[in-house]
Amino acid sequence: MTKSSRAAAFIVMVAVMASMLFPLLYMVWLSFRSETGGAIIPVENYKAILARGRLWLFLLNSTIVAVAVTVGNLVFCLMTGYAIARGKFAGSGVLYLSAAATLMIPSHILIIPIYMLVSKIGLFDTYWALILPFMVSPLGVFLMTQYIRGLPDDCEQAARIDGAGEFTILFRIVAPLCRPALAVLAIQTFMTNWNSFVFPFILTSRPELYTLPVGMAMIQGMQGMGTPQLMAGCTITTLPVIAVFLFFQRQIVEGITAGAVKG
Amino acid sequence: MRRHIILLLTAPWLLTLIVFWVFPVVYSFWLSFTDHSVFSSGTFVGLDNYARLFHDKAFLLALKNTAFFVVGTIPFTTVIALVLAMLIAEKIPGYKIFKAVYFLPSITSMVVISLIFVSLYSRDGYLHLLGRLLGLAVPENGFLFSTATALPAIMFMDIWVAIGYYVLLFLAGILAIPPEINEAAALDGAGFWRKLIAITMPQIRPMLMFILVINTIRSFQIFIEIFVMTRGGPVGSTSTLVYFVYEEGLRRFNIGYASAAAYMLFILILILSLLQMKLLKGRQGVAG
Repeated sequence: MTKSSRAAAFIVMVAVMASMLFPLLYMVWLSFRSETGGAIIPVENYKAILARGRLWLFLLNSTIVAVAVTVGNLVFCLMTGYAIARGKFAGSGVLYLSAAATLMIPSHILIIPIYMLVSKIGLFDTYWALILPFMVSPLGVFLMTQYIRGLPDDCEQAARIDGAGEFTILFRIVAPLCRPALAVLAIQTFMTNWNSFVFPFILTSRPELYTLPVGMAMIQGMQGMGTPQLMAGCTITTLPVIAVFLFFQRQIVEGITAGAVKG
Repeated sequence: MRRHIILLLTAPWLLTLIVFWVFPVVYSFWLSFTDHSVFSSGTFVGLDNYARLFHDKAFLLALKNTAFFVVGTIPFTTVIALVLAMLIAEKIPGYKIFKAVYFLPSITSMVVISLIFVSLYSRDGYLHLLGRLLGLAVPENGFLFSTATALPAIMFMDIWVAIGYYVLLFLAGILAIPPEINEAAALDGAGFWRKLIAITMPQIRPMLMFILVINTIRSFQIFIEIFVMTRGGPVGSTSTLVYFVYEEGLRRFNIGYASAAAYMLFILILILSLLQMKLLKGRQGVAG
């Protein structure tokens, strides 16, 4: 590219960046302003949304759900990936394909049967409804199988000859080697579930079980909750993911492109 | 590995697969042929639900809105993301920061983004003021309260949100192109646009296909922004297929009827995905 077209490109990139940042900065800025628009009030809106909006509770629920689902995915996707990659059994190819095929199912078409199922087995309005269906993600199974297939198996074979059991081999030898893939999976799972709205929304009705996104959608329009308070709640919802993003940008990018490039 | 160990290791995925994927897909197929609702525990009615959908004005409007949404966002998202990814690949100064900032909307909760834009689009919100400043015929009560502008406003927001994610995917495809090809083109004096058409486009074909397919699947399922911003209004002008399924199924509890609508959506997405894959398969590129 010529010098002048590089300069033009730079200006375009900066303009796009400004448009990307503007709504987020607007959110933070508004969260510090009083309802009438004049004064700057540093904590009042946050206090209001946390106490009267019960955001403390939603924050706690979001943390419980996102952490539980992340831990579950780490353990179970590792187990499944290991079995598919290393176990020589008839159905291993089918299991691998099942994960890939599930990724192609548009999950929102399943809101009705999953609502019916969760209600029928008595899990509606429980933490289980927010956690169990997401415990083993197809993307995680896919990622872990791919990764373990690419690992050399000398250490595993040596341990097997020494009489080590499969679970010892998996958690003592394979798991440490999988650390990069597990990091990608953990971050991806945490972010997805932190922001998740549709299923937590249809599987709960009591405010005691709302996660942050569900709570924020419900607080909208509540008596005495104006836009500044809402924006304070939005800021609280967004800060954790921005923090994770700043620390783990590389893993996040890897998680997003891994499925695309390899698949 | 012995059989019982394999079974033990794969049991969590097998259970998830059967209980939360296979069963719901099959169950909702069955439900779509019944009159399951508040008044009925579900008797078989054949194709009645499907036949009814074709005469249901609300369903047809949701279908039209969804199609408009898909056709009106994906070309813009794709082209803008591709150009930005190419500029990042050219290592324009600050490209690492641009790449990170463009991705910020993608990691932000869709509920949060929707709430921010409700404020920006409202009467005297900043985007409303900007529209007036540019001399556009903006609706007096804000963009979301007019049947003419509500859906386009949500579409504009969707393009804005989605770009960063597809920039990353395109970038992965571009960086996988063997550098020799670009070097040879540079020696022959090819410029930015020439390189885009002659090298990048054919080379990233598999990635382009992937992006179009996943964006189509995603866009057909738009729900959160509709629920938070407009609840399908004003007068159904922003009602989409998933919103219709939600309203019919989980608010009016016409379970059978809503299941039929959901299945129509499923089949529609499936056909379009397969069609896109067939049309774009052609020659093999690098990433595939």
